[in-house]
Amino acid sequence: MSTESKTKKGQSTLAKRKALFPWLVPLASLRLTLTLLSLSMVLIFIATLEQVEIGIRGAQAKYFESLFGIWHYPIQFWGGEYLNSIPIPIPGGWLLGGLLIMNLTAAYLIRFQWTMKKFGIQLIHLGIIMLLGGQLVTQAIQEESRMQINKGESSNYIERFHGVELALIDVTDPKQETVVSIPQELLEEGGSISSEDLPFRVSVKSFGSNCDFNLVGSKDKRVGVSKEVDQGVGFSANLSIKPKSEDYSSEAMNFGYLVFELTDATGSLGTWLTLSHPAGNHWWKESPKLAGLAFQPIRHKGKLWGLTLRSKREYLPYSIELLGIENEFYQGTETPFNFESDVLINMDGNEGRRALVYMNTPLRHEGKTFYQYQMNKAADYTVFQVIRNPSWLVPYISCIVVSIGLLWQFGFHLVRFLRKNSLQKA
Amino acid sequence: MKKHTPVRLGILIFLTLAGAWVCFFPYKKLGTASLFDFAKGPPSAPTESFDLDGFSRIPVLRGGRVKPIDSVARNTLLVLRNKRTALDQNDEKVPAIEWFARVLFAPEQADQLKTFLIDHDQVLGLMGKKLAKDGKHFSYAELEPHLGEIESSAREAGQTERENQDSFQQNAIELYRGLLLYRKLKNTLAPPPVPSESSEMLEEIGVTEVFFDPEKDSDRTAEYQRFRALTGVVVEDPSLIKMGSSEFSKIVFFLDHYSRANMWSEFFPIPPEVNDPLEKWLTVGQSLVGEEPLDSKEKRKMEPRLFISTLRELVSLSPDDLRKRIATIRETEKMNPTALFASQYAEAIKLRREVDPVIGLYEKLGISFRANNVAAFNATVSQLNELATERAGEASSTLHFEKSYNGFEPFYRSSLAYVLIFIIACCSWLSATYSNSVGKSDRTSKMLRDCAYILTGIVLLSHTFGLFGRMYIEGRPPVTNLYSSALFIGWGAVLLCFATEKYLRLGVASAMGSIIGAGSLLIAYNLSLDSSLNPTGDTMEMMRAVLDSNFWLATHVVIITIGYSTTFLAGFLGIAYVFYYLGATLLGKREGKLKKTLESMIFGITCFSLLFSLVGTVLGGIWADQSWGRFWGWDAKENGALLIVIWNALLLHARFSGIARTRGLATIAIFGNIVTAWSWFGTNMLGVGLHSYGFMDKAFNSLMFFILSQLAIIAFAYLPALVNFVIMLAKKLIEILSNPPPNETGT
Repeated sequence: MSTESKTKKGQSTLAKRKALFPWLVPLASLRLTLTLLSLSMVLIFIATLEQVEIGIRGAQAKYFESLFGIWHYPIQFWGGEYLNSIPIPIPGGWLLGGLLIMNLTAAYLIRFQWTMKKFGIQLIHLGIIMLLGGQLVTQAIQEESRMQINKGESSNYIERFHGVELALIDVTDPKQETVVSIPQELLEEGGSISSEDLPFRVSVKSFGSNCDFNLVGSKDKRVGVSKEVDQGVGFSANLSIKPKSEDYSSEAMNFGYLVFELTDATGSLGTWLTLSHPAGNHWWKESPKLAGLAFQPIRHKGKLWGLTLRSKREYLPYSIELLGIENEFYQGTETPFNFESDVLINMDGNEGRRALVYMNTPLRHEGKTFYQYQMNKAADYTVFQVIRNPSWLVPYISCIVVSIGLLWQFGFHLVRFLRKNSLQKA
Repeated sequence: MKKHTPVRLGILIFLTLAGAWVCFFPYKKLGTASLFDFAKGPPSAPTESFDLDGFSRIPVLRGGRVKPIDSVARNTLLVLRNKRTALDQNDEKVPAIEWFARVLFAPEQADQLKTFLIDHDQVLGLMGKKLAKDGKHFSYAELEPHLGEIESSAREAGQTERENQDSFQQNAIELYRGLLLYRKLKNTLAPPPVPSESSEMLEEIGVTEVFFDPEKDSDRTAEYQRFRALTGVVVEDPSLIKMGSSEFSKIVFFLDHYSRANMWSEFFPIPPEVNDPLEKWLTVGQSLVGEEPLDSKEKRKMEPRLFISTLRELVSLSPDDLRKRIATIRETEKMNPTALFASQYAEAIKLRREVDPVIGLYEKLGISFRANNVAAFNATVSQLNELATERAGEASSTLHFEKSYNGFEPFYRSSLAYVLIFIIACCSWLSATYSNSVGKSDRTSKMLRDCAYILTGIVLLSHTFGLFGRMYIEGRPPVTNLYSSALFIGWGAVLLCFATEKYLRLGVASAMGSIIGAGSLLIAYNLSLDSSLNPTGDTMEMMRAVLDSNFWLATHVVIITIGYSTTFLAGFLGIAYVFYYLGATLLGKREGKLKKTLESMIFGITCFSLLFSLVGTVLGGIWADQSWGRFWGWDAKENGALLIVIWNALLLHARFSGIARTRGLATIAIFGNIVTAWSWFGTNMLGVGLHSYGFMDKAFNSLMFFILSQLAIIAFAYLPALVNFVIMLAKKLIEILSNPPPNETGT
């Protein structure tokens, strides 16, 4: 910052502010900014390379949503066989993002001149703070789910892409279902789970977020935890499972599994196996032997219950009906130019609202946004990606703030540059 | 310009005219069309020779876009031979349109033309050929005996995942695809002949008399008319639709035969039928029997009895009712092959009663071409042009422009002119150095710089014309794919250089602009040859659904591309500074005023870069929020853009803080070239993420070479300092060795 452009007023408050927060001086340093920016470049570059191996979600968890990640030089690169074994710590997104916000805020307080001439600089950095903060908030609270609807039918719930729950559904009364669901966190803790609404206890024997499974034909061929199963589909179809670590890549198919025992006052009701299908449990119906995984019935004291391990569900206060779908291609090519779902939102007591959901035009309703995600024209169903992100407006606002700031500041420079040149010529 | 003497002014005018001529005027080596062709409109047909110009303007649909036959001809040759011409046996060039006419109308002649480029020694070895002996250009006739080997190698190569294919496998697949493309072209206007093995079977069901007979019939429409006559019989008496009826089995045979022909069409020659609301273009097969509703393998799942009864019922309906029924069947019975195929059969039998006149005209073209009947050919061309253009409607409005544009080659012309500018700018510096050393004033140098500046303006016009031409034809903003981003990056940088040079007539901006301009056009040219990016050879491809938004293409994509372009410009100015610095150091001179000027140019342009890359990236985030539901997803391309933003911010902050001075700034800017190249191409090579539709891996070596060259220049920038340091160390060492401090020689 050239000294000549300092105005007296800006300078005087600057000195005052500096005196007020002397301990902020090192935190506001430009050298720290440069270091953080350089480290961010390293982080982003390496995390991008890592996406090839561990997928975007994996890289996000390992590098961007962590304080630091350990990186190994890829073995297939030049000299990889020697360098691969050296663990290299890479500062993570939380760390750098947090430090950058602190650095910026401190600079705001004790380094920036609060004058009109530097107003642009202030706006730019304010916008950047908002962007960074907004992204941190988004990563912390954004929820991604999906909703599949068959043509002519309607749906009133969304399912998370990641995370499962054990649902125990009382279907004795065909008009009124009672659902008790046990979230993944409790299943992971293990032990014995009970609830006032449940007539029995659930003792978790084994739970994992991914596994290989196959039908082995007889009880003796089952391996590991699946050996103990003596009830339900796991028993009748002789399912054998092998636990596997979760796959973070974008096309991952993670089959969650749960082996659990039910007990009531009289004793054990047997050990069950359930599997969750990554694309939704209705897909089990495609294979006759496993169809039961979508709903394993158990009769208990005159009531009929169903058990299933399914993607975590959220019920909506409204339902969405699929009226029609459209999937159009440019003639003579395999390039699609339109995916479109024609839907009707039915709310209690109100008249329905019709909406078209297509590329670049999502449906926003009651804080959730529905995006066209997948579609099958032959089987007549559509899948929406559903996102709840309360901070979605922040980037829009920060974009405007930053642009005004940049234009303001560079406008100043450009005018000065041109004026200087025309003076030189004259 | 008053300040120049007549001689200098003469040179200036001469060079300017030469540049303008390269950019715009007719010369066969530059392009088959010139600026005048856009104004003139289609020429009148010649009387002595085939009106191939008129033929090349006939509209067809390929790759989802209505375009003149000229574009199809050039683009397919570009895929097959990486050139827009074929070669005859004597290695004389054959223009694309002439080659194309022969492929369509006289395939046995076209088979003799050298159409295929094979330059991979092992693929040549597959056919027992050698590059040194047999060359790299081959005709279909030469390849035909080896089709079996090529196909089996390509199939085997296809088993390997794309990322793991070696160059032999890639080349084998490419050649196989090329052969397939060529065969499809040959069969686009007429169904491929039935294999001779089955002639006995054909005799048995009595279809041989329906087939086209060159002895009796004037052209193939006679066969189509006889087929229509057959279906007419069944329309009159639907009870003939039954197993074992001779009429019906003939109809079934031809329906199959023509439906199969649909798969052998490379483009759609028949414009939409007059009352078709969807404005669908048709192949010959589709015009005859409609389109198969499902893959033909599904026919095996049909129930024959139900099929017959459904078809009979459908055919007895009135045409209007039948249309409605067909629409309902296709909407509600998507999983029912019986009903679906019955709907196609009913459409072919009852609704398609005529033979499209366009088919007849194409037949006539073929016959007159083979008979060398120029008058008939030319008359048919004009009839066909009139009819097809009328039926194509709106879509044909840009045809004549596109035809001239194809021949004009604005980017080839511009790239040559950029080279000229660079040479002139270099001459201006040489002249300046010379006059400096002999102590004269550098008038010549000034003249050359003025000349480079004026020429930059002229090339910019031609480059801009090229970009606008594409926009006009496509009806899209300038950047739609990797190819057009290269065109645009060069354009943006040159535009900025032109503006800079207006104020600072140093020749530096002209020179750097012309390097970036020529370089980016060269990159664009290579991208247009990459068949994995560009399978149809047409760089004006259709936009997939998520990209189909002119608003976002015009804002996010254009702005981010300007960001790339300005970052490259700052980097090249950095390179200019490094060379200036090295030159000054070598000559033992102090750096002059240019040092400060370059520094402020780098700084100023990086300000622009930051503005554009930041706003562009944030706009991209907003687009992502609109279409994928999240503002930021750490996708590879997004991260690449973010790297550019951070790097530009870093440069500015390094200058604010005084940590980097001119040389530091220059090297930071040069590293910016690496960051931008990574973001532009490197991220596409990873093959991950939502932006991976531009996947390409062939340019990997070029990218690595570019990165290494930039690192080398950065190293050069610090070489004098390093040398000084070493000399100083050596001096110190000698000093120490010659005068050993007394206290170290202790006892």
